[in-house]
Amino acid sequence: MNGQYASLLIALPLISAFFVPLIKGLGRKAVMGYLVLITAIQTGIAGWVFSEVYSTGKPIIVMAGGWKPPVGINLYIGHFAALFVLIVAIVSFFMAIFSYKAVTVEPIDKYAMLFLLLMLGATGMIATGDIFNLFVFMEITSITAYALTAYNKTGEAAEASMKYIVLGGIGSSFFLIGVALIYGATGTLNMGHIAQLAGTMNATAAQVGLALVIFGLAVEAELFPLNAWAPDAYQAAPHPITAMFSAFVVKAGLYAMARLIYILQNANGWSDILKLVIALATLTVVVAEFSALRQRDVKRMIAYSSISQVGMIAFALALGTQAGISAGVFHMVNHAIVKALLFLTVGYVGITLGGTKIENFAGLGKRMPLTALTLTIGSLAAVGIPLFNIFWSKVRILLAGVEAGYSWSVALILGASVVEAVYYLRLIHTMWFVGNGERIRENFAIGVIAIFLAALIVVIGIYPNDLWTLVQKAGQDIFNVANYISHVPLMGVGS
Amino acid sequence: MVSLLKRSLAIISILIIGYWLAQGLAGVPFGQDKMLVGHYYLQHVKEQTGAVNAVTAIVVNYRGFDTLGEVTVLFIASTGVGALLWRKKRERTAKTEGSVVLTTGVELLFPFIVMFGSYIFIHGHLTPGGGFPGGATIATAFLLLYMAFISYEIPHRLFENLEGIAGMSYVLVGLIGLAIGGYFLFDWIWQTWHWGTSNLGRLFSGGFIPVIYTIIGIKVGTELSGIVDNMLKEEVGE
Repeated sequence: MNGQYASLLIALPLISAFFVPLIKGLGRKAVMGYLVLITAIQTGIAGWVFSEVYSTGKPIIVMAGGWKPPVGINLYIGHFAALFVLIVAIVSFFMAIFSYKAVTVEPIDKYAMLFLLLMLGATGMIATGDIFNLFVFMEITSITAYALTAYNKTGEAAEASMKYIVLGGIGSSFFLIGVALIYGATGTLNMGHIAQLAGTMNATAAQVGLALVIFGLAVEAELFPLNAWAPDAYQAAPHPITAMFSAFVVKAGLYAMARLIYILQNANGWSDILKLVIALATLTVVVAEFSALRQRDVKRMIAYSSISQVGMIAFALALGTQAGISAGVFHMVNHAIVKALLFLTVGYVGITLGGTKIENFAGLGKRMPLTALTLTIGSLAAVGIPLFNIFWSKVRILLAGVEAGYSWSVALILGASVVEAVYYLRLIHTMWFVGNGERIRENFAIGVIAIFLAALIVVIGIYPNDLWTLVQKAGQDIFNVANYISHVPLMGVGS
Repeated sequence: MVSLLKRSLAIISILIIGYWLAQGLAGVPFGQDKMLVGHYYLQHVKEQTGAVNAVTAIVVNYRGFDTLGEVTVLFIASTGVGALLWRKKRERTAKTEGSVVLTTGVELLFPFIVMFGSYIFIHGHLTPGGGFPGGATIATAFLLLYMAFISYEIPHRLFENLEGIAGMSYVLVGLIGLAIGGYFLFDWIWQTWHWGTSNLGRLFSGGFIPVIYTIIGIKVGTELSGIVDNMLKEEVGE
């Protein structure tokens, strides 16, 4: 089949979001069913793209408008993008089902539109091969995220969204200045073309441009000084949206950061930027873990835990070695599965028992055994206990870190992981050994999703090698820039 | 009151950042020819897109994917405002009607503003402007109605549906391109049908640029009017 049909990944969520106003008269059930249907179709398309890319071993290049890059905009769906577009679609599908139960606040039609556009924005950020287009998709993602954060219309949600808007707005303007600088220095916006010209760029211009771009993306990617919005937003947003933030929105930011860093790897002064990101990432891990320790609200605690894991991914991606990037991508996949599960179960407890305070989790093992069991598996995996998936990716990241000569940050990250074990074990203890309660009937669909994700964690934990070979290809996609350039059909403008 | 220390620290750090940015900018000398892709656009815009206005040709045709994204951003803004200000019952609670001069002036001006807005987006491929300014001009006309009359409201159902349909048509035009030309957002009117190729510089030329700009104009006009409407309403008791 024609690879250009992969553009449906963008076209389908868009046209479906625009269609929602026309069916909103049919009521809440119809809109929610529609949301599930569209995300299911999107998963189907993403599955087709995934199998296409991994069976041929070649990326799909979508050329919008039929213009060859760098004149037109191209989507580059390589090994990495194919994998993550699939993850985005699957997580959205699960969360659409979860939304049936979790989102009762009106207006539901607007929720459905914003939900679809959040999925679209993340898909576009991961797939695009043009830096200005990346900015546009980043705006789509972050503006939907602002609106969805405040969706519950409580004072807390409004405050969280306000913080996010202000930080995100400053971040994206810095990103835009960075793009302008890179465009001014190279005369092109296409990532492949920029990578070709990176060596000829003025050193200061490249350094300042790249630093500005990273600064802008760090807001979305939740790196330390710029992530103050994240815990508030995670806590205040509707539960399915929190899971989406953690599972793929932040990943899209991280990936964009890694992609831009590596396409400029021939520029002078490049390694200084890497050191900056390493320092930020290490700080992120340490600060977030210690903040998580103090939390009394489980959703907020997991939000901090998510930020610390993200810091670890950023650390791996900025190591500048093949092993580091593959380990980082491995951790991205594992983290997406685990955090989707954790936010799903915690959110489900929150809507059933009214709130996610730690007191509500007492005796959960007796009241909602299935939820408690999957939540326990998720927590154990997050700590990084052997036989669960995150163990393998954490080990790989730490080994790659030592290999690249950053023993000091590895030591700090390891120390922080001990803290992580403390608060997750406290949660598990509260669920199983404290309190009592009546048995509550659990929702079938949510139970099935939770069991599926938990089973995935265990299966990857026991057989990590299949996924490891997969993510090595995806990591290669980011690291091997010469290969990236060779796949972009540049038309040789002005050279 | 911000303390003196805080303020001076802020000024110093801004100066440092400014100096740093200036250093970076110095690496991109002003006036030096760096137009790699730019030259291509200027040399090929007429024969490849049929547009005389190079900016709109780039925005809609060469880099149409970005414009689709920008249209979506605006849609998100209006949806987000709608979602956050949603209440069961909301009404306009304006108290003072505009003076006779104002109301009569608005009544007279309204059709002219709408007409001029439509002129801007229809002539996007020939004159400066296009869908976004045209749509914003039309929304201004509705804003004037809101400010002059205390009880005016836009036709909500119509506007909401129009907004959705316009957005869908944009994507549909792109999908037709995918079906005919093999690429998403492919300009099938110009490149496959060669419609208007002998008519360069006149109204009926420019491939699908006027079509898309009309869609964008309608969409932007209804969207901005919707945002104004949402922001002007207050919750009222049952």
